[in-house]
Amino acid sequence: MIPLALVFLLMLLLKWPGILPFANSDQSTSLALGFILVFAYLLGNNLKRLRLPQITGFIIAGIVCGPFILNFVSESNVNDLQLLDGLALSLIALTAGGEMKIKKLKRQLRTIISIVVFQTSIVLFGFLILGLIGQYFIPFFRGMSLLHLFAFSLLLGTLMTPTSPATTIAVMTETKSAGKFTDLILGGAVVKDFFVIIIFSFTLSFSKSITIPSHNFDFGFLLHILGEVGGSILIGILIGTGIILYIKFIKKDIIIFILSIAFFSYQISHNYGYHPLLICLVAGFFTENFSSQGKLLISAIERSSVPVYVVFFAISGASLDLSALRQTWLLALGCVFLRGLLKFSGTFIGSRLTGEGKEIQRLAWAGFISQAGVALGMAIVIQDNFPDWGSEFMALVLAVIAINQIIGPIFLQRLLIKVKEAGKK
Amino acid sequence: MQALYAFGLIILVAFLGARFITKGTSLSPVNYFSYSGFIYIILGFALGRSGLGVLGPSLLTGLTPLISLGLGWVGFLFGFQLEAKYLKRFPRKYINLSFLQFLFVFLFGGVAFFLMLKPIYTSEPGFLLYGMAVALGLLISLNSPTLLSMASNFIPERGSYFYLSRFLVSVSGFWGIIGLALLSSFWHFPFFESKIILKGGGFLFLSTIFPILIGFLFHFLTKKRVSEEQMLVYLIGLVFFVSGAAFYFNLPPLYLSMVLGITFSNLTKTHEKLYPLLLSTEKPLYIIFLILIGALWKVDFDYRASIFIALLVVLRVLAYMLPLPFFKVVLDFPLRLPTRFGLCFLSSGGIGVAFAVSMKLVYPLPLTDVFLTIALFGILVTEFISPWGVKFSVFRLDSEEQK
Repeated sequence: MIPLALVFLLMLLLKWPGILPFANSDQSTSLALGFILVFAYLLGNNLKRLRLPQITGFIIAGIVCGPFILNFVSESNVNDLQLLDGLALSLIALTAGGEMKIKKLKRQLRTIISIVVFQTSIVLFGFLILGLIGQYFIPFFRGMSLLHLFAFSLLLGTLMTPTSPATTIAVMTETKSAGKFTDLILGGAVVKDFFVIIIFSFTLSFSKSITIPSHNFDFGFLLHILGEVGGSILIGILIGTGIILYIKFIKKDIIIFILSIAFFSYQISHNYGYHPLLICLVAGFFTENFSSQGKLLISAIERSSVPVYVVFFAISGASLDLSALRQTWLLALGCVFLRGLLKFSGTFIGSRLTGEGKEIQRLAWAGFISQAGVALGMAIVIQDNFPDWGSEFMALVLAVIAINQIIGPIFLQRLLIKVKEAGKK
Repeated sequence: MQALYAFGLIILVAFLGARFITKGTSLSPVNYFSYSGFIYIILGFALGRSGLGVLGPSLLTGLTPLISLGLGWVGFLFGFQLEAKYLKRFPRKYINLSFLQFLFVFLFGGVAFFLMLKPIYTSEPGFLLYGMAVALGLLISLNSPTLLSMASNFIPERGSYFYLSRFLVSVSGFWGIIGLALLSSFWHFPFFESKIILKGGGFLFLSTIFPILIGFLFHFLTKKRVSEEQMLVYLIGLVFFVSGAAFYFNLPPLYLSMVLGITFSNLTKTHEKLYPLLLSTEKPLYIIFLILIGALWKVDFDYRASIFIALLVVLRVLAYMLPLPFFKVVLDFPLRLPTRFGLCFLSSGGIGVAFAVSMKLVYPLPLTDVFLTIALFGILVTEFISPWGVKFSVFRLDSEEQK
């Protein structure tokens, strides 16, 4: 606790108004990054002693020191740090892909697909009902036409479906988990990401066709999304092949090679509209399952994984829009509760139908709470496509993500401890 | 988004460079050039705003944190080797020689540069030329141990001259970086009009006490058993924090991180744990740093700059050679100090580059672009000829001593 307080006091001193005239605020990004790295890590360690996940500490550090509270990490700092954020996400996705082994997945594939299908449909349906009933007692929904309400709820349901693979893998790495639950949850989170991107293309096109008179259901858009997903998989396979060949024939300076690969894949995805997360997930998965080089890949990444996680989750925390939470916190809390309930139902039914044991039926839902990047990206697309209510939608989604991002890792960590999979790796 | 592309390219080029450039089997200028990593400045230059333009000014702004980390890293590594226990092994006369050498080189170079700058850059204000002369004087006073560490693989017989030169090149940077701190504190940008001593003193105090505090914190965090990953997070985070604070107050990151390195090195007992970590992290960081510097370099080259590049090389050679017999007498130095021994001090290596970039970043003026051009070209030329210098001085003197 003393080092944490000392780092905090030092930063407070550097940001003291009396000292600011001598400071160059345009050059504060490195200071912000150094501070948040140490502060978030120390906070994470302190929370670990309280049996909470470290990454919750990283996220809370980002929130507290971010633009909405202390502003030690300003909005412009957060924008400048997107570069490192991109690198971190790619590395985390490579690890997540590399942790998924076909042998283990095969055993649980039926359950994973069943859970993903039931979770998605039940969450979608549940939020549709919320919107339709909510118009009578939730002020937020009042004044919307029925069609708009339908579209709003449908899209909200879509965005409530995904689970963050990055958070999932970070908690699993931290707790050193291995076992049935671990594989099921990681597999479920990854498969759901693919699934949700495709569902989103449907729901977005459908919502536009019913709310914008001149707009018909856009099959072109659907094909475009499918093309993006297919392209991401293909690029991921190509990158995975590159990694295999590199590790097999060159083997030196693996970390430099992986860093360059991570950034290239991230950049390719942004230039051509592919999904960086999917690309790296597939690349990691391909390397792990179609070569003997997977272990080397994962160990090379894991050697520097801690700073990567700290940077990624602290920046995620600093990026969380607390003003949105302030505006819609009550409804957001309701959505978080409903989402949890629907996830429980989906997981329960999905796992029961495939004959899984009672433990999985009752507990596995807790692993699917975290939520981040994919939902955020979709919310931005929705905001652009529906200017009438897109910003309100965005505010609500941001608020829900903020809450889920804090509680999600805690739920997952508790689950892994409860089912005795933590520390088994 | 372009920043990501550029960063990916940087790492890939760095990797390809590391893979395909031969490390060399002899102490030739070409081999040393690739061994020291200076080739990456040229690669960075080719990618930068004066070259292909892949790394444009806006991208470089986004990549500033990495330059900051690179500068901090160089300073920290330098400071970390200045452990009192290690330095005490050497006779006091060695330390006196290093200080005297620094003083002479700095004054000789600084005065000569100022005398030449004034008639050539007539349109520039006098106080800026003073600053530039001081900076160029400090620059030539810096030395790098990289060349001698490469030379140690080829040296026929390691004798007194090898150990003396290695000590001097390792320590000389200390004085130069302190000079940089004094310059940056009292010559703060924007320039103070009043109470310069008070304000300058305040900045110097801040830039010294802050890294000392962080050094204690680093020691406090690592004195109990820590894993390698914890050490890595603290190391990267605290170097970032210190160099970031330096940027924030327009102070030289090299000085602050050197003080951090010295403080930590003299407190900790984890040297054995930290060295492998530093070595494994150093290479990729240093390569990226050099490429970014190359990209940052806006070549402001005209006949005036070429005069100063030549002057820098000539002054460097003369300033290290001429006073040696005098130092021998003044210090009653136990070894013979012939003038040619001075030829082993031609390389300023990464620390020289970091110094030049530090100046450019602390003083973002058009004249510092000229300074950077002179400094980088000058460094590249002296780096290129420095292996010959070592052969003519240390190699021969040591073999003569053996005979």
